[in-house]
Amino acid sequence: MSFFESNIFWFIEGLFACVSIIAFRIWAQDKGINMAVWKWPVVIVWVLFLSISIGFVATSIGEGEMDAAFYGGVFGAVIAAVSGVVVWRLLKIR
Amino acid sequence: MSNEEESSKNELKIPRRTLIKAAGATSAVLGLSGLGVSGYQAGKAPSSYTGCESFQGSAQSFDRKRFAVDKPHYEKVGPTSRPDGRTEVLFSRLGVAMSAARSDKKIEDLDEPYRSYYLSRPEDFELDKKNRELMHKVAEDSTENKNRYLLAEAWADAMGAVSPKSIGNKPPEVSDFPKDRFGNPLKMKSPEATARLIKKVSYEFGTVLVGITKLNPDWVYKYPSGRRGFDRNKPIEVPKHWQYAIVVGAPMSWDPMYANPNFGTSNDAYSKSRIVAFRLASFIKRLGYAARPHTPGNSYDVMVPPIMVDAGLGEQGRHSVVITPELGCNFRPAVITTNLPMKTDKPISFGVQDFCKNCKICAEQCPSGAITTGGKENIRGYKRYLLHSSKCFNFWNSKHGSMGCRICIAACPYTRKSNWVHKTALKITANDPTTISHKVLTSMQKRFYPGQNPSDYYAATLGGKNASYREPPWWLKTEDFIEL
Repeated sequence: MSFFESNIFWFIEGLFACVSIIAFRIWAQDKGINMAVWKWPVVIVWVLFLSISIGFVATSIGEGEMDAAFYGGVFGAVIAAVSGVVVWRLLKIR
Repeated sequence: MSNEEESSKNELKIPRRTLIKAAGATSAVLGLSGLGVSGYQAGKAPSSYTGCESFQGSAQSFDRKRFAVDKPHYEKVGPTSRPDGRTEVLFSRLGVAMSAARSDKKIEDLDEPYRSYYLSRPEDFELDKKNRELMHKVAEDSTENKNRYLLAEAWADAMGAVSPKSIGNKPPEVSDFPKDRFGNPLKMKSPEATARLIKKVSYEFGTVLVGITKLNPDWVYKYPSGRRGFDRNKPIEVPKHWQYAIVVGAPMSWDPMYANPNFGTSNDAYSKSRIVAFRLASFIKRLGYAARPHTPGNSYDVMVPPIMVDAGLGEQGRHSVVITPELGCNFRPAVITTNLPMKTDKPISFGVQDFCKNCKICAEQCPSGAITTGGKENIRGYKRYLLHSSKCFNFWNSKHGSMGCRICIAACPYTRKSNWVHKTALKITANDPTTISHKVLTSMQKRFYPGQNPSDYYAATLGGKNASYREPPWWLKTEDFIEL
């Protein structure tokens, strides 16, 4: 079993996630963004979508399916970019 | 607000520090519990059986209970009949057609039952005769083209080098039963316990999937395809001891399989299936019961796909291959018929019939046009998709590499390696009664995992480009290892 399939890897990923969330809160405060309760699921869903897209591209490359990696990357990037703008506008709502 | 109300409101508020402490304590408990569960799983994980990971049955991971149904998906639509193994099995009739091609015989000159068969299917006669000509054409291809497949052919031959000996030519009433000293059947505790035992030893013997069913006599050939103790001119009376059927088998190696039709082979999986089947038959005989292996290449007295469906291993797809949830159609089965009483498995339904109605990728990729793009037909009383075996076999002789094509298997959206992407897709299609996801995922499959132009799969001397569905794995690239 490689390191990246081990429980320790996912534990470290969890630590990264916790640190990212704390840092995001501070960043949002500095930007004057009021992180109301309803905004958190919006951000989480967007981050999950981005994560799944990156995971899909990487898995496809690992499988040797370059067409899947390319098209998955393009679709993922476009949807993440467009939805990212929407999420940013929602975050700016007081 | 009065002072009393304000004071009461303040008393009901939980201080933030208390909340954080409670959350921390809960997290600690959950985290430690998780460590415990993870540790327990690590202790019993199949991956800890170093060297024997694949013999623990962990590959058969799909939750079949959730998708179990009372009746298999195939519909009985008329009076049923059993297939004639002498004519309806292509390999059994092929020698007659190719001999007719050499001696320029017409259908009317053939002996029965081949004469009647080909009179009702004259197109098959022309297609079957054509195989000689196709083989010669492929042999005329350039040395450079042929040399590309030297390693793949060596690997295919090597995989076929180990094979159990034949069951011989005694009648099943003799050959299926144990030798005298093991003759008395042991009294088994219960069918449930026996089924668990048989499945466990099947995994230990090397099977990847295993299923158990009662044998439907409609799946037994009416006339035998090979001798195996039967008279080829007499119909098979289904032996009374052929009560249960156990399906075992193995997948083909994934990377060469994706490089079909030229670099892949069926021999790797066939060899493993044969070994598992003979081991299991031997084990059952030692318990004192009858057991008969029906194995690939062509040592069958039964049709295996519907037995697989009955045993809950999967559903039959448009290409006539049974699609399993774990391996897609990358599974080459063997069957053991026996009278050992066992608890049987139920058939499953996980969305394949609906998926195949819309998908048709196998039919679109098939270079020979053997797979229908239309609906199901009445075949011997059962409604299913028709595969034109003569057209299929023509293509086998129109390309290089090991015998067989297997493009439909490689191109099938269900035949994907087991990672989170494809497991998620399977979960979605299996749980979507609206079939909306089937159409979306089929479109994605065509765009993201495209095949080749079907005519390119042919050998260059037949107008193709010797194309493969995917590039071969590094260890089958002859040009990287051998001076050509």
